[in-house]
Amino acid sequence: MKPGLRHFFDSMADFLADPSGLERLRASHPGWDSPPSRVALYGEFVRFHVRSALEKLYPLTQASVGGEQWAALMEGYTATRPARHYEMNRLGEAFPAFAADVAAARQLPEFIPALTRFEWADWAVYASEEQVPERAERLTVNPTLTVLQHPYQLCAWVRAKGAAPVPAPGEEMALLWRHPSQLNTWFAAANERMLLVLKMAVEGLSVADVAAATGLAEEQVRRAVRQCARDGLILAP
Amino acid sequence: MSESYAQRHGLRPLGAGIGLRRGFYETLPRTERALDWVEIIPENFLSLGGRSQRALDACVERWPVLPHGVGLNIGGPDPMDEDYVTRLAALVKRVDAPFFSDHLSYSRLGGVYLHDLLPLPFNEEAVEHVVPRVREVMARVGRPFLLENPSYYARMPGGTLAEATFLRHVVEQADCGLLLDVNNIYVNSQNHGYEPRAFVDALPLERVVQIHLAGHDRYPDVIIDTHGAPVCDDVWSLYRYVLERTGPVSTLIEWDQSIPSMEAVLDQADQARAVLQEVAR
Repeated sequence: MKPGLRHFFDSMADFLADPSGLERLRASHPGWDSPPSRVALYGEFVRFHVRSALEKLYPLTQASVGGEQWAALMEGYTATRPARHYEMNRLGEAFPAFAADVAAARQLPEFIPALTRFEWADWAVYASEEQVPERAERLTVNPTLTVLQHPYQLCAWVRAKGAAPVPAPGEEMALLWRHPSQLNTWFAAANERMLLVLKMAVEGLSVADVAAATGLAEEQVRRAVRQCARDGLILAP
Repeated sequence: MSESYAQRHGLRPLGAGIGLRRGFYETLPRTERALDWVEIIPENFLSLGGRSQRALDACVERWPVLPHGVGLNIGGPDPMDEDYVTRLAALVKRVDAPFFSDHLSYSRLGGVYLHDLLPLPFNEEAVEHVVPRVREVMARVGRPFLLENPSYYARMPGGTLAEATFLRHVVEQADCGLLLDVNNIYVNSQNHGYEPRAFVDALPLERVVQIHLAGHDRYPDVIIDTHGAPVCDDVWSLYRYVLERTGPVSTLIEWDQSIPSMEAVLDQADQARAVLQEVAR
């Protein structure tokens, strides 16, 4: 690449990393007569794409922290240059870690790091590249299943679209998976029935073995399996 | 008259198409409306599973599907994204696209995706930089490739060529096709004060294989190419002017923001098809 073009790209990279450097950009190209307001548009566009992607990925986080705090979070996160993948939503992948790092310093509500993990998992499960087989030979865990553990009742709170100011406290194992036919993200706080059926799928246990080991009636076990299969949490033959 | 790029590659006009956008994943594959082909933004299908793949498969069963990328970064300084190009090649083969396209711009700097299409300076240095990259992509994907004329709001420093000359040099030296975005011509002509028909006349029209039509948003001192409105009358008129010189060309109604009902987008595709049929007579 010729030096002139190299200089052009370097100067644009500096500007786009920090659009406040518009005058520096213009000064590095003497005689450039394009209106500054037009050049500034590119800095605005690039930052807008980061913000708009995050707003779509983290709507409950945004609503929970309020406008001022959200703007500050966006400013800080955008400065990390998070767009490292051609698929735009992937720029939000590191946001939960960022939120966890700054939570104390910015006095974010305590549940925010857990909520950002949940909202990212919601998207990641929806868009997962995991192939869900159309037919299963045996009980099989839905390959998109993601498990989150946190000290809040987030499933109920998210299902209510954050109607209460904060989620109720309490340990929760949240299960998130993509429904095999509806192809949207389902989630639920894990309960004994779900965990039992997941164990059956992972360990290849029969209904009779589980009934004998747990004291449950075989029909109760079958009903649990049918329910989990209907919900798409597991794939049944 | 010399053979056109489309003729050399056995590419025929496909008619009028619309884009497969997320809001149309369920409805588009089932539409009973006239539709000749479908365009996809490959970035939405290269690494995302689930609904996007189901919708794509359903469309491939019914229509030709043409990938039109935004992330190739053909003009940028970074090396080609290996994962991107590998997956793009696989996608083009999977949908059996007769050709694929991206923009004559850059979209990545220092490993950071800008998720926007930024203009290059119109000079020979940029031509020399872009041409081998176009050839590399065509060789790796193994299908005809089109470059789109982008919209731009500021001329970049160091430009020495007229915009049309820059476009011509790139596509002729790389020997690729041209995806002519008629709305971009209109937007650029308004923003930079030139005559759009004279610009069209200066282009290598024998390389035009596809056309984009879209809407834009008008602000006091600039028009932004938002793809967020119906195609305006001036752009329809310019479209007709182009077709009178090229003959029928596969035409897309491109709508990416404030997307209305699918029916409204298909209405615009009907309008484009009517113009295509008129010029074919």
